[in-house]
Amino acid sequence: MTSIPELSDKTKQRGKLSRAIYDARIRSAIIQALTLFTVVALLFWLTRNTMINLQARNLSAGFGFLDVSAGFGIGFTLIPYKEGDTYLRVFAVGIMNTLLVAVVAIALSTVFGVLVGLARLSTNWIIAAVARSYVEIIRNTPLLLQIIAWYFGVFNLLPRPRQSMEITGGFVLNNRGFYLPGPVVEAGFTLWLGILAVSVIGAIALYIWAARRLERTGQSFPAILTGLGIVILVPLLAFLVLGSPLSWDMPELKGLNYVGGITVPPSFCALIVALSAYTSCFIAEIIRSGIQSVSKGQLEAAGALNLPANWTLRRVVMPQAMRVIIPPLISQYLNVTKNSSLAIAIGFPDLVSVWMNTSLNQSGRAIPIVAMTMGFYCAVSLSVSAVMNIYNKRVQLKER
Amino acid sequence: MTSDLQTFVPRPDRPPPADSAGVAAWIRKNLFSDIPNALMTLLGAYIAFTVLSAVLNWALFNAVWSADTRRECLDAVGRAGACWPGVAIWFENLIYGLYPKDQVWRINVGFLALILWMVPLWIPRVTSKIGIGLSAVMLYPFLASYFFLGGDKGVVWTGLIALGLTGFVIVWATALTETLQAKTAGAWLIDALGRANAEEKMQTRIRLLAVLAIFLLACLAVWSVSFTEVRTRFWGGLFLTLVISGIGITFSLPAGIMLALGRRSNMPVIASLSTIFIELFRSVPLITILFMFNTMLPLFMPAGTEVNQLLRAIVAVCLFASAYMAEIIRGGLQAIPNGQYEAAHSLGLTYWQTTSQVVLPQALKIMIPAIVGNFIGLFKDTTLVSIIGLFDLMNMARAIGEDTNWLGLFIEPFFVVSLIYFVFCFAMSSYSIGLEKKLATGRDTG
Repeated sequence: MTSIPELSDKTKQRGKLSRAIYDARIRSAIIQALTLFTVVALLFWLTRNTMINLQARNLSAGFGFLDVSAGFGIGFTLIPYKEGDTYLRVFAVGIMNTLLVAVVAIALSTVFGVLVGLARLSTNWIIAAVARSYVEIIRNTPLLLQIIAWYFGVFNLLPRPRQSMEITGGFVLNNRGFYLPGPVVEAGFTLWLGILAVSVIGAIALYIWAARRLERTGQSFPAILTGLGIVILVPLLAFLVLGSPLSWDMPELKGLNYVGGITVPPSFCALIVALSAYTSCFIAEIIRSGIQSVSKGQLEAAGALNLPANWTLRRVVMPQAMRVIIPPLISQYLNVTKNSSLAIAIGFPDLVSVWMNTSLNQSGRAIPIVAMTMGFYCAVSLSVSAVMNIYNKRVQLKER
Repeated sequence: MTSDLQTFVPRPDRPPPADSAGVAAWIRKNLFSDIPNALMTLLGAYIAFTVLSAVLNWALFNAVWSADTRRECLDAVGRAGACWPGVAIWFENLIYGLYPKDQVWRINVGFLALILWMVPLWIPRVTSKIGIGLSAVMLYPFLASYFFLGGDKGVVWTGLIALGLTGFVIVWATALTETLQAKTAGAWLIDALGRANAEEKMQTRIRLLAVLAIFLLACLAVWSVSFTEVRTRFWGGLFLTLVISGIGITFSLPAGIMLALGRRSNMPVIASLSTIFIELFRSVPLITILFMFNTMLPLFMPAGTEVNQLLRAIVAVCLFASAYMAEIIRGGLQAIPNGQYEAAHSLGLTYWQTTSQVVLPQALKIMIPAIVGNFIGLFKDTTLVSIIGLFDLMNMARAIGEDTNWLGLFIEPFFVVSLIYFVFCFAMSSYSIGLEKKLATGRDTG
C-alpha cells in the first residue's frame, strides 16, 4: 500500500501532490478527516442553536428538576406513587410499567406463537389454513390500529360493573378493567419461598447430574419428570404443612364498583391482547421457519438409528432448530419492549407516556427527558444484543 | 426370423387405486387420516365457521346501509350489525383528508402519473427497466411535490419540477420505442435524423441536445401552469399515509446502502459513525424519535425558523427507516463471498465499480424479501404519526367516532381502514414472493 511498485512514465511525471491523492492511505485519511469535520461542525451548530434557543426561552438543560415534585397522578403504578412524588419517581414508575407490559406480552405471545407456528406446520389442511389466515391478517395490519381497535372497540364497550362478566375464581371483567384475586402474604411465607427456591435448585442440579451421567455412562435418567415432581410436590407439601401462608383477596362488588384484589385498567388489557396477538404472528413464522430449516436427512438419519420419536425431537430437531429460532426470537422480544411504547395512544402510563409526554409537557425540560428515555431503551437493547452475541458465538456451527 | 420377433409393447399404466386419487382421497389424507386428525379438522372447521359467520353477519347480513346518525343504526339493529352510512359519508376524508374538494383531482392526477410511470415495468418488451424504476424513485417525487403542494414556485423548484416532467416524457419515449422498434429512444432519434453513421461524440451530443430541448419545453410547461397552494395541515387520510411512506421508502434505500457500506468500511471514523447512528436509531422506538423531532427540532434550528410539522414527522421516519434498511443491506453484503471482491480487484475495478457492479446487485437480490418486509413495516409504522397529531388514515378513522352524528362509531371505520392496510401490505408481500421466485437463479435453489 505504501509504495506503488511499478510507476508508468505518465505517473512519474505527475507531481508529488497528485501522487499523494492516488495513495489509498492518504486518501482515506483525507476522507475521514473531512467526514469528522462535517459531523463535528454539524453537532456544534446544533448545540449552539439549542443553547441560544434555550436561553431565549429561559430553560435549562440540567438534571436539577429530577428532585422537584411532579405534581400529577398516575393511574396505574407497580411501585407506590403519590401525587407529590419527584420526577425521578415518575421515571421509575414509567420504567416499571413498560417492563411489566413487555414481560407479560412476551410470555403470552411466546406461548401463542409456538402454538400457531406448530399449527401452520400441521398436516391437517384446515388447521394449517386457519393458522395461516390468522398470521396473514394480523401481521398485515398496523399494530397501533389493532391496539386502538381493541381499546375503543372491545374493552371500552364491555358492560358496566353491575352487569360484569364474572369468570370463575374471582376473575371479573367490565368496562372499568379486569379484576383478579390479589395474593395476601401471611406468616411463614418467606420460609415457603425458601423451600420453593431450594427445590428448584435441587431439580436443576438433578438435571445437570443426569446429563453428565448420560454423557459418561450412556445410562439415562428421567430427570425432567423427576425434577417436575420435585418442583411441584415439595412446595405443595410445604404449603399445606405451613398452613397456607398465602391467601387470596377476592374482588367483590360493593356499591357501584368492585373492591379488593388486583385491578388492571382496560388500557392495559387492550395493550397486552393486541401486542401478544401481533407478536405471536411473527413468533409463529420464526418457529415454523426454524423447524423447516432442519433438513429431512437429519430426520431420516435419526429414523435409521431407530431413535424413538421424542428423542428425535429433543436431541436432533430442537437443538438444530433452536440455533435458527433464538436470534430472531430475541429481536422480537426487543420489538415487544419497543412496541409497548404505543401505550401512549390509549393512555396507559408507560415510560413514553408518563415521562416523554406528561413530564416533558409539565417541566419543559426536553433535552434531559428525551436523553433519559432514549438512554433506557438503548441500555435494554444493547445489553440484550451483547448477550445475544455471546450466545451466537457458542452455538455457531464449527466448520473446517 | 426377424418377422417372428415380438416387439415389446408396454401395457398402459394402470390407474392408481381408487382410494388414493380424487377428492375423496385428498379429504381422507389431509383431513381424516386418523382420529386425532379428524378431531383437529372438526376443531379447525368450528373456528373458521364461528369467525367467518360472525364477521359476515355483522358486516353484511345485519348491517345498516342507510341512516343519518349512529342513533338510528343503534335503534335499528343495536350492536349486532355494522353501521356503514357513517363510513360512507366520511369515505372521501378517509382517502383525501381535508384537501379542498375542488383540488382533489390534483392528488388523483399525481398518483395516476406514478402509475403511468410504473406501467412500462410490466411491459415485457421494455428492456431498460432498472433505469425506469430508478427514475420513478428519484425523479417522480419532484413532479408530485408540485401537484400536491402547489403555490408559489421559485426558479430552483421550477427546474426540479421540470426535471420530473422530463423524466416522465423520456420514460414513455423509451417505453414506446422499445416496444415498437426494439431500440432505445436515443437510438431511434439518431436513426430518424439519419445520423446512424455519425461519430460517437456527435451522437452523444444529439442525445444531450434532445434531453435539453425536452427539459426547456418542460420548464415552459411548468411555468405556464400554476396551482393554488394547499397547506400541509389540510393533508390527511390515505393520501398522507402514502406520501409519508413513499418519501420514507425513497429516502431509506439509498441512505441505508450508504450507511451499510459505511459500517463495513475499513476507515475507522466512518465505520464508527455509521455504527453509532444505526445502533442508536434501531434501539429506540419510533415514537420516541417522532417525539424527539417534534419537540427538539425547533430547538435545534436557528431561532425563528419554522419547521412544518409534517416535515418533522417525515425527517424522523426517514432516519428511522434508513437505520433499519442499513442493517438489512449489511446482512446481504456479508453474504457475498470474499472471492467476489477478490475477483473484482484482480480485474482492476475500483471500489465504487466493485460495489455497484459486482457486490450490490447480488446483495440486494438476496435481501429482496427482507427489504420489502421493511417497506411493509414502514408503511404500517406511519400510523404512529397520528400520535403527534397528524391526520393520517388511522387518525381519520378515529375522527369519525368523534363526529357528533356518529359518536362512538369506532369498529366500522377501523374495519375499513384495516382492510385498506391489509390490501396494500398483502399486495407488497405477494409481489416480493413473486419477484424472489423470478430472480432465483438455479444455483440458489439447488
